[in-house]
Amino acid sequence: MADGVTTAREAGETEAGVAGSRLAAFLETLDEPATLLERRRRAWERYTELPMPTRKSEEWRYTDLSRLDPESHVPFAPESGEEENRDAGDLPEQAARLLEGMEARSAVAVRVDGRTLHRRLDPALAERGVVFAPIRRVARERPELLAERLYTSDVSPMEEKLWSLHVAMLTGGDVLYVPDGVRVPEPVHVLRWAGEGDRLLSTHTLLVTGREAEVTWVEEYLSPDLESPLLSLSGLELFAGDGATVHYLSLQRYGRGVKHFSIQHLLAGRDTRLSGLNVNLGGDLARDDVTSHLEGPGSESEMLALWFGDGTQHFDHHTLQHHAAPHAYSDLLYKGALTDSARSVFRGLIRVDRGAQLTDAYQTNRNLLLSKHCHATTLPNLEIEADDVRCSHGATVGQVDEGMLFYLMSRGLTRLTAERLLVFGFFDEVLERVPVEGVRERLRDAIGSKIGL
Amino acid sequence: MPHNETVEGLGLDEYKYHFVTRDKPVFKSRKGLSEEVVRQISAHKEEPEWMLDFRLRALKIFESKPMPTWGGDLSTLDLDQIYFYIRPQDRMQRSWDEVPDEIKDTFERLGIPEAERSVLAGVGAQYESEMVYHSLREEWENQGVVFESIEDGLKMYPDLFREHFATVIPPADNKFAALNSAVWSGGSFVYIPKGAKIDIPLQAYFRVNAERMGQFERTIIIADEGSEAHYIEGCTAPQYSTESFHSGVIEIIVKRNARFRYTTIQNWSNNMYNLVTQRAMVHESATMEWLDGNLGSKLTMKYPSCFLVGEGAHGEVLSIAYATDGQHQDTGGKVVHVAPHTTSRITSKSISKGTGRSSYRGLCKVYEGAVGSRSNVECDALLLDETSRTDTYPYIEIDENEATIGHEATVSKVGEEQLFYLMSRGLAEEEAMAMVVRGFIEPIAKKLPLEFAIELNRLIELEMEGSVG
Amino acid sequence: MGEGEFHTVARLDEIPATGLKGVAVEEQKIVLVRQGDQVFALEDRCSHEEFALSDGEIVAGQIECALHGARFDPATGAPKALPAVKPVKTFECRVEGDVVQVRID
Repeated sequence: MADGVTTAREAGETEAGVAGSRLAAFLETLDEPATLLERRRRAWERYTELPMPTRKSEEWRYTDLSRLDPESHVPFAPESGEEENRDAGDLPEQAARLLEGMEARSAVAVRVDGRTLHRRLDPALAERGVVFAPIRRVARERPELLAERLYTSDVSPMEEKLWSLHVAMLTGGDVLYVPDGVRVPEPVHVLRWAGEGDRLLSTHTLLVTGREAEVTWVEEYLSPDLESPLLSLSGLELFAGDGATVHYLSLQRYGRGVKHFSIQHLLAGRDTRLSGLNVNLGGDLARDDVTSHLEGPGSESEMLALWFGDGTQHFDHHTLQHHAAPHAYSDLLYKGALTDSARSVFRGLIRVDRGAQLTDAYQTNRNLLLSKHCHATTLPNLEIEADDVRCSHGATVGQVDEGMLFYLMSRGLTRLTAERLLVFGFFDEVLERVPVEGVRERLRDAIGSKIGL
Repeated sequence: MPHNETVEGLGLDEYKYHFVTRDKPVFKSRKGLSEEVVRQISAHKEEPEWMLDFRLRALKIFESKPMPTWGGDLSTLDLDQIYFYIRPQDRMQRSWDEVPDEIKDTFERLGIPEAERSVLAGVGAQYESEMVYHSLREEWENQGVVFESIEDGLKMYPDLFREHFATVIPPADNKFAALNSAVWSGGSFVYIPKGAKIDIPLQAYFRVNAERMGQFERTIIIADEGSEAHYIEGCTAPQYSTESFHSGVIEIIVKRNARFRYTTIQNWSNNMYNLVTQRAMVHESATMEWLDGNLGSKLTMKYPSCFLVGEGAHGEVLSIAYATDGQHQDTGGKVVHVAPHTTSRITSKSISKGTGRSSYRGLCKVYEGAVGSRSNVECDALLLDETSRTDTYPYIEIDENEATIGHEATVSKVGEEQLFYLMSRGLAEEEAMAMVVRGFIEPIAKKLPLEFAIELNRLIELEMEGSVG
Repeated sequence: MGEGEFHTVARLDEIPATGLKGVAVEEQKIVLVRQGDQVFALEDRCSHEEFALSDGEIVAGQIECALHGARFDPATGAPKALPAVKPVKTFECRVEGDVVQVRID
């Protein structure tokens, strides 16, 4: 890795003055399968053509990218596809500690600065055709799994700039393929640790399941507090086959100094059950764009999110529940709590296409404001072009219940502890929908330590 | 209320406001917008220099602002084809007898003088670009109520006018406020003195008669401390194959402890672009209520606003939109909480039929310091056909933690069970549909004076015709 | 006021006799408003949507924001027309000879 970094840095520094772009120079240093390289180049071209979104566009009205300078970040060296596979005991201390309590997993991967140090997959699942491997290796060995899937998502014009940067600068990614009828009994869990600032980390996840398959995917983003900023870009493409059940959970608990942008496209086939949960606790700025495409009749999509912002953290969530097929169901519940001068944005849209009759679609955003200087903005939108539908949305902004607070204080708790307990309770409505107990507990622990319980 | 009549029985086969009056305007500007047109308007009105300067600056602002790309489709609005100023007569009248016959006849057919005699405290009537009639009952005049055309307001109360003009809606607020600021003509100047309580409404009626007409009325209303009043505006025009354009600016100042209600029943013909800015500044313990009925026009973009700047102020927007074939009602409301303990409520009901589209667009903003504020927004959309569309776009921006804000919206179709039940009770399907729709808008209709509620019901009935089968 | 130092930010003749000019002192963006011999200094950010007031104009003695037309009193920063409802921060400002100085805290 050290060599890769040196190359990128040197290339960046020497090229920067000439071509003006150390990122362009980074592309020149790569040696990878032609198909992947070609995609990077196309994405880079798009990236350079598109302007950086400004607050003048509705989608970026509340998040200011004017100080985002991708060129000031050196991309991590991309994965080679040849992974190390260290035992837990040989991992860096931070990573090893994270693996604790993760025995009950059907598959695990640990990435440090984009490089996989540890990966295991239950051999019984491998035998049944489950693939869990880095994108680069899959591109070499099973290219058919990527064809017509990787980077094919219908990315909106307002996401395209950062999506293009993500594809062009990809550090590495994981592919999970679950064949028809295979049920993965325990979660697949990926830890992504970043330890250096001034860097650009771009990670991608491609989840593909066959018919009637079943799997739970968990990814965690972690770092120490960083003095110099890290730019983290992440992409998810999820293709769920007819009748499949797929749970996707993302826990972002970076340290300070990180700007994290995540673009997620979930595509549901006929009678598919999808659920996604995004938890944002860390970073200085985190923005999630999540789209659930209900393309098959009878599909169900649950979209959940939690966030707790303090200091000057800024969380921005954009969602689209796109009902393209009739008789589908989607339910969104996004809950956030803010303190200090933190800020959050929720902008959600339910779009029901003409002909998507018998749609049931719901959207709820609830916000708790715990301090004088925090700000919450919520924009729950509907665009409905079919008449035989049941759609509703609701949004609230408020405080913790004073009565409950006094009750807890009368039982001897300090105001702060009482307030934290109530915030925890506020999140529980979402957490109890997490299907796997071990994962639920991990989320509770992460949230508990963030809010100081 | 014609609950038991059939739609056919009402004999309302078509939009009843389509008639065209043959008149002889005394002045008609050249088509399109230019500095020359702005200067002509100002000259006709014999305005002070500062107003001409204001208009010319606003024209520059208008030219510098891009067309909005959100909301409705404005690509077919061709301002070069619009007449920005048509002066129907030389001076405004205070008696209907002096209004030219053909114009008076228009308002007779619209039922205005009759309503004035029975249920209104005062009437203003605008025809094309100018108020042709303005009158206030003597008892209110004696109490010091001012109800004048905006032009007379500027002449008679220059200081009061200038103190408030464009302070609620400055020209640069949005592109169409800038346009109105450049070419405004007609509208009312209203002052309700301290403590005066007018218990029957004032009404302004806006009629566009000419083809390709642009109407740009401007209204300023000052409700002084402790006063109460209700102002109603109604709008109609004949249907032409070409587009017409209406872009008003309404500025309202509601002072301490005052209550003001502003009602719009907009029934423009379906070739009208209706782009209106309405905003109220609401002071301590005062109440502002917007009742906004949008039934006509090709495209309406209109979001009545309340800026709650005084402690304990209350703002309310009741919005009803009806969009049928070829119509887009992009309407809603805005409430901005600035002071502590301010409260607001927005209730929106929309109905989309055929290829109609109704969009709710709203803002609820709470500034830091507006402690103890509460706001509640409820939007219900009813869809009558599989080709109709509805959208909901609320903006909720909260910078104060001691505030309680809620927003809810639902979308549904007319329940088949409901229809079958009503039909089993002997109603024709059309009647049943009209009844369901009436029930849906009732919370708003019942806030209207009876005459207007009946009018609204009649319109719904009319619109329902041919909606089934 | 009273804390912080005076910084020379412009020459008086750089500002039109009734006009404005944007300057920056360290990280602080400031708009200077001149009315004859008097100069006022305000934070160069509209309290409505954070647009730079120095892109606006002086109209009838008030600063008008170019974005939505909000107006402010240059001496006090108080809002004089909607859609602004909050004041803009002001800075102590003096003219020393032919230069304008602003105290930054």
